[in-house]
Amino acid sequence: MSLLEFLRTAMIALRRNVLRSVLTTLGIIIGVGSVIVMSAIGGGASRQIEQQIASLGTNQLTIFPGSMNVGGRQGGFGSAPPLTEKDLRAIRERVDGVVAVSGQMNNSATIVAGSANWVTQVQGASAEIQDVRDWPLSAGRFYDAIEASSRRKIAVIGATVARELFGGSDPVGTTIRVNNVPFEIIGVLKAKGQAGGRDQDDVIFVPLQTARSRLMGRVRVPDEVGQILVKVDEEHELAEVQADLERVLRERRRVAANAQDNFAVRNFADILATRSATQRTLSLLLASAAAISLIVGGIGIMNIMLVSVTERTREIGLRMAIGAKGGDILGQFLTEAVLLCLAGGFIGLTLGVGISVVVSSIFQWPVFISPGIILVAIFASAAVGVIFGYVPARRASQLNPIEALRYE
Amino acid sequence: MNEAGANVKVPVVAARDLTKSYQLGEQAVHALRGVSFEIHRGEFVAIMGPSGSGKSTLMNMIGALDVPTSGELKIDGVDIATLDRDQLAGLRNHTIGFVFQQFNLLARTTALDNVKLPLTYAMPRPADPEAMARQRLEQVGLGSRMDHVPSQLSGGQQQRVAIARALVNNPSLILADEPTGALDSATSLEILNLFKALNAQGMTVIMVTHELDVASHAKRLLRVRDGQIVEDRPVHGLLEESAT
Repeated sequence: MSLLEFLRTAMIALRRNVLRSVLTTLGIIIGVGSVIVMSAIGGGASRQIEQQIASLGTNQLTIFPGSMNVGGRQGGFGSAPPLTEKDLRAIRERVDGVVAVSGQMNNSATIVAGSANWVTQVQGASAEIQDVRDWPLSAGRFYDAIEASSRRKIAVIGATVARELFGGSDPVGTTIRVNNVPFEIIGVLKAKGQAGGRDQDDVIFVPLQTARSRLMGRVRVPDEVGQILVKVDEEHELAEVQADLERVLRERRRVAANAQDNFAVRNFADILATRSATQRTLSLLLASAAAISLIVGGIGIMNIMLVSVTERTREIGLRMAIGAKGGDILGQFLTEAVLLCLAGGFIGLTLGVGISVVVSSIFQWPVFISPGIILVAIFASAAVGVIFGYVPARRASQLNPIEALRYE
Repeated sequence: MNEAGANVKVPVVAARDLTKSYQLGEQAVHALRGVSFEIHRGEFVAIMGPSGSGKSTLMNMIGALDVPTSGELKIDGVDIATLDRDQLAGLRNHTIGFVFQQFNLLARTTALDNVKLPLTYAMPRPADPEAMARQRLEQVGLGSRMDHVPSQLSGGQQQRVAIARALVNNPSLILADEPTGALDSATSLEILNLFKALNAQGMTVIMVTHELDVASHAKRLLRVRDGQIVEDRPVHGLLEESAT
């Protein structure tokens, strides 16, 4: 018997009892559907995070002071000697593959412009911060290196701050008060969007020296820089540059050979790696949930196929009497089971995609359905058909035609 | 189709010392106890016997559904004991046309598709199964009902479809098991006349029945009792003798 005839026969058999066929595949439908929805939502979220991390820059290193071990006690940030302009210079001069280096000190501040006010993050930073973070302007200019080391009260504001304080009007040239200190706005940054649940555009940049003297409160050493941000040349291996940088800093900060670093270097590639490890765990969880629901669905298929074989014993007997070989009967029932499962898989797939689209439009969640998961869903349902259809099909193919014909 | 099938001299069915025994629980049942006979091309044979006589066992063997415990059964010159399960299925497909008491048509399947069914299992595949099936339905007088499903057909019409299905693969013999058992007497006569017509065209017909009336339409009678053939005679004059 040819595959086409197997398919035709199976279609006729399944159409004979549409309601039962649909109920039988319900397990598969729900299994496949829920996996699609879950993976669409999970995939959307992880893609969004990846994009955000990419927007932060994967060739960027951030150095924090800290991680000093004092008498077995892990000291947090601030317990270690602060990072200074000297550290920054050492990195710029002695580490290969560094494109730009910037100090950065953060504080939150209330900003007042006319009658509007807004609480945001003030970052005192070197002029190179714009390079390090790849951040173009939408209006005005950024301060230069000379201005960065001066105490001029100038500021470059993020897109969110501009919108909240000035609405549609051009803020360049106007004066705002940052913690009651007047600053002139010289530029507006282009919008970057969200990253890690934080609005990157809710920020204002002021020269590092100005921040130290006006906005950061107590500074432990006059040339403290808070954190150091390093942009690494794309051509260089990030890990190598990081190792080189750590060596230079240990030397400069006189860390003993067997002592722990009194600074910490983070890169977004690490965060990405952690993220993908988390994601792997999640996918594993998802896969086991899918496997369980498919097994349950498969048992339903097997059950109904066994019933079907019993019901159609006479038909099987007749087919054998007129020349069907064992393989023909096996193929017929196996085709039926696979077709049933595939139909369930396709319905589940359609349902899953539909629900994902609805969810994304109602809750404004990003969803992403990978072509891979669609293929996996289809193959998995076919496999369930083969695995759970085999026992009933084999039973059918081994019936004794004489007894099958006599079966009432 | 095997070579011997074309040879008129080779019997369609040749049984020699056929026995069949089953183990039924503790007890051994001897369904056939040494049966020998030959059926030749163009014969119309009725096999008669009460239930438990072994006639069903004999019929199953002639239909290549069962193999003997001992002895030899050749169908179209082929010893069925030498065939495996799939080869038996192949033999049934191209050599034997089955007709059953309960018709055994596929429900919700058109007459045409029912008749085509044996061809889907045929090796090699016929070039035009559709035409073959149509021709057989016309031959049994159902040319106008090809698209009807069994529930739209009367019992007699259903049995005609079944006969067309038995004929479609051009078999060496038609094996009918109580073909009129589910039909009223008028319809039974129609079906028996159809068998007679087919036989007149050269088809070998073997009919299993327990009714003398039905058997009397055949040309030769084999009577089975207690696993043995107790009578093998021409049907001619049968009814007159039994009346006395």
